[in-house]
Amino acid sequence: MSADSPRVDFGHRVLVLRRRRFAVRLDRRSVIVCAVLAAAVACMAVLALMTGSYHLSAAQVVSALAGGESELIHAIVVEWRLPRVAAAVVFGAALGVSGAVFQSLLRNPLADPGIIGFSQGSYTGALIVILVVNGTYLQLVGGALLGGMATAVAVYMLAYRRGVQGFRLIIVGIGVSALLGSLNTWLMIKADLDQAMAAAAWGAGSLYGVSWSQVLVGGACVLVFLLLAGMLSRPLRQMELGDDAAASQGIRVSPVRLGLIVVGVALTATVTAASGPIAFISLVAPQIGRRLARTAGITLAPAAFVGALVCLAADYLAQHVAPTPLPVGIVTVVLGGGYLGYLLFTEARRRL
Amino acid sequence: MTALALRQDGPGTSAVPGPRRRLLGLAVALALLAVLLVLSVMIGSTSIAPSVVWDALFHSSSGIDEFAIRDYRLPRTIVGLVVGVALGLSGALIQALTRNPLADPGILGVHAGASFAVTVAVGLLGVRDVQGYMWFAFAGALIVTLMVLALGSTRQGSSPVVLVLAGVCIGAVLGGAREALQLTNPEAFDAMRYWNAGSVVGRPLDVVWPILPFFAVALVLAFAASGPLNAMALGDELAAAQGVQLVRTRALSVLALTLLAGGATAIAGPIGFVGLMVPHVARWIVGPDQRWIFAYSILLAPSLLLVSDILGRIVMRPSEIPVGIVTAFVGAPVLIALARRKKASGL
Amino acid sequence: MTTTPLRRRGAALVAALLSTTLVLTACGSDGDDADDTGDPTAQTRTVQADNGTIEVPADPQRVATIGNTTLPFIDLGGEPIGVTEESATNVARLPEDQQATYASAKILATSADEVDLEELATLKPDLILVQIPDAEFEAIEKQLELIAPTVFFGLDAEWKALADGIADAGNVADALSQQKKEFGDKVAKIQETYGEVIDGTSFVDISRGDFNDPGTFYIADIGCSEIARDEVGLDLPEAAEGADPLAYESLSFEQIGELSKYEVITYPVDAEGQPTEPFVPVVESNTWKALDAVKSGRALGVFCPGNNSYGAAIRYLDSLDSALATLPAEE
Repeated sequence: MSADSPRVDFGHRVLVLRRRRFAVRLDRRSVIVCAVLAAAVACMAVLALMTGSYHLSAAQVVSALAGGESELIHAIVVEWRLPRVAAAVVFGAALGVSGAVFQSLLRNPLADPGIIGFSQGSYTGALIVILVVNGTYLQLVGGALLGGMATAVAVYMLAYRRGVQGFRLIIVGIGVSALLGSLNTWLMIKADLDQAMAAAAWGAGSLYGVSWSQVLVGGACVLVFLLLAGMLSRPLRQMELGDDAAASQGIRVSPVRLGLIVVGVALTATVTAASGPIAFISLVAPQIGRRLARTAGITLAPAAFVGALVCLAADYLAQHVAPTPLPVGIVTVVLGGGYLGYLLFTEARRRL
Repeated sequence: MTALALRQDGPGTSAVPGPRRRLLGLAVALALLAVLLVLSVMIGSTSIAPSVVWDALFHSSSGIDEFAIRDYRLPRTIVGLVVGVALGLSGALIQALTRNPLADPGILGVHAGASFAVTVAVGLLGVRDVQGYMWFAFAGALIVTLMVLALGSTRQGSSPVVLVLAGVCIGAVLGGAREALQLTNPEAFDAMRYWNAGSVVGRPLDVVWPILPFFAVALVLAFAASGPLNAMALGDELAAAQGVQLVRTRALSVLALTLLAGGATAIAGPIGFVGLMVPHVARWIVGPDQRWIFAYSILLAPSLLLVSDILGRIVMRPSEIPVGIVTAFVGAPVLIALARRKKASGL
Repeated sequence: MTTTPLRRRGAALVAALLSTTLVLTACGSDGDDADDTGDPTAQTRTVQADNGTIEVPADPQRVATIGNTTLPFIDLGGEPIGVTEESATNVARLPEDQQATYASAKILATSADEVDLEELATLKPDLILVQIPDAEFEAIEKQLELIAPTVFFGLDAEWKALADGIADAGNVADALSQQKKEFGDKVAKIQETYGEVIDGTSFVDISRGDFNDPGTFYIADIGCSEIARDEVGLDLPEAAEGADPLAYESLSFEQIGELSKYEVITYPVDAEGQPTEPFVPVVESNTWKALDAVKSGRALGVFCPGNNSYGAAIRYLDSLDSALATLPAEE
């Protein structure tokens, strides 16, 4: 749904400027790849709507969508299954773009918002709410966002010394993440088993019980940030060539970098608020997207579509194929990791 | 402590200290380690008089306190020393090998493999004691590291970036499977909460002895590879031109670091950060020569581990904090301060 | 609102308040019963729970239990049609008939997370009993209520209050009053038989779980010994008010020597009287063997089959009773 908005505004211009024939070919491939991915997302969504442990025929699902059927069946299709599908698509796309922004920005294939401590920080915030305050769902969301943002700001400030330089940001991020990771382990050890499991389940990231209000609010935020990311994508690509090169083309490197970091973190933060940290999509989606579209650097649109597809497929597997329902985050890790591994493997063979 | 040692040696990579100062620094680090070893036996969550400690070590008296020294403090000190040496050296090796400052032995799937194997042992096979699952951890670490190497290598050898990505992939897949297993099996989850923290408590010495021969082999391999690794730091082509055998050096280093990190993880559980941080600090003290980095890492890593373990025993008396948790609290501020102080320290 | 993380092994103090509300509830609900003739499932009554006033069937036939309500409901003779999974250790400690009841129920989720709501709807329950963390309940409250009347207990409901609430909502109050009587008799008998020991002896209950790091154990001030302390009146250590339970602190084996300041030590054994598997390393340690209490037969193994329902508590008291009988007389 919202995922196709960023496709509109990038791609050709930057590439066309440089090498015409090469660029056109690449671009066409990108468009086709995105279209195929979008079709796959649509098919997956229909399949997900049809499947569930409460058996419904295709006709019942359609008529429930149209407003027919009993209260329970209507609720199952429209209130339980549909928002979950929508959430998977929107949040998956957000995570994909968020990762693409960070990998491009730091020119490191391992970068994602986690690198500036966001993931560990939000987990710490959530753990404190779950284990110490025993708070409500809203408090949990608040705690997670606060923790994540505070950590991200702290890392940025600690790494700031007459400007932020990529390598220092990474090192400081590692240090702070390690610290918080230890704190999290400590909190888990101190906790009662049931609470620790509840915290771990939240920490794994899950779309379980997601409601329309969460999807709509989250979706609106994601849309805004995706548009911002689209607007910043051009300076982003120029900065990939190096800070000096970008500056010589009239890019104000520091504010743009800060803006990109904020957008990247905000995208992940929105998803974390709604569903817990869904791991790994932000890491693999840009890599997979780049390899599918065969672009030279990280591009945002393929990353968004791959993110949506991985998230939706993973959630389907987590709910219906796994022997017992699992948090989606666990499956995204396995699925995304496995596929990236496969890509690396074939790539390595191609290079022989 | 590490911070103190650093300050003496001044500005770092740009001004590499001469051999005499490096030797002196090495002596200081050795003395520091010796002091910490003694302190680790003296200090614990109960207070035991030094005379009783002396009796426990050198006479065969049999009070409760003597048993406590002989059965708990002495073994955990030895475990801390052994594990620390292994972690420090394996960290130095992997950073030299991948030329990636983000590389930690964990990144090659050592922790993921060990954790996964232990979860299977605990959750599906019902293994309960550390003697039992330690071999699962060791085997898991070795197998997974080999898988990462197979995935991350091309015929020309392994590019560091691909190697790291391969490690992340396999680590993620196994991590997800492990989490799924744990969430569906509360008892395995419960048992793994502590193992994941990494600790040197309650490892009887008879779990350490069988690992030592592996460490000895790895130590020899590591120093044998240190010279060629120095040459490779300048780039593969240059090293090859100097007659370095790239493939053999890589194979030796990988074998050594896998044995070291796998063995350490088998004994103590996944202790992160030591292997990442100590080689950085060592490099900032002695400059880019791998032999010196290795030597310093071997002395500084167990010191960090012992300091952390001693702190873990006393800050929350009478309960203890597992050492794997304290290392990050002790080490991370040092790392951050250094990162702010130094110019970008590439490799 | 709620400040202390408590679940299943809640502190008695907090619960005192809650049980008052539940007693009031129980009184209120009886009056609402319509006449007892006619189809029992068509009749309804109201019960008070942490999620408000709930209208439930007078005699629910198809009950689903989620979270910590499963074992207490089964202990009261209830036969749930759908349950969330319990750990193998917990199930193994149940009496055989209860194990069979548990095995015949449909598993809705491993642990209490991610209850398969569609599966639950397929079962068509007429009552759902829930005790899970507030935040988790909030996320699925609407869905559950659409399926069937849902009675929710917060985690800080202490076990006695939980038993009252479950018995009331599930219409198994007769079994409860019988268990309560048996429990009361058992406590009175122990107090009478071992009056002197209870008054003049310092106890400590220690334990070790799978979740403990090797080489550590803990002082069990929550769990079964809570019953020994609060109901029977044994002199057992207790955490300061407002602090985390002592049991949350794992102590290294070095601390075993510190136990010499207590006169009697109790430790966990299985139904056959052997030390539980995680506890074996403690029993085998040299420091344990050197303790005075151990050498003089004042270390007692006690079987703890669970502390979340009256049936389990009664079996615990039986075990405590026979353990106390083996104490050597004081000189």
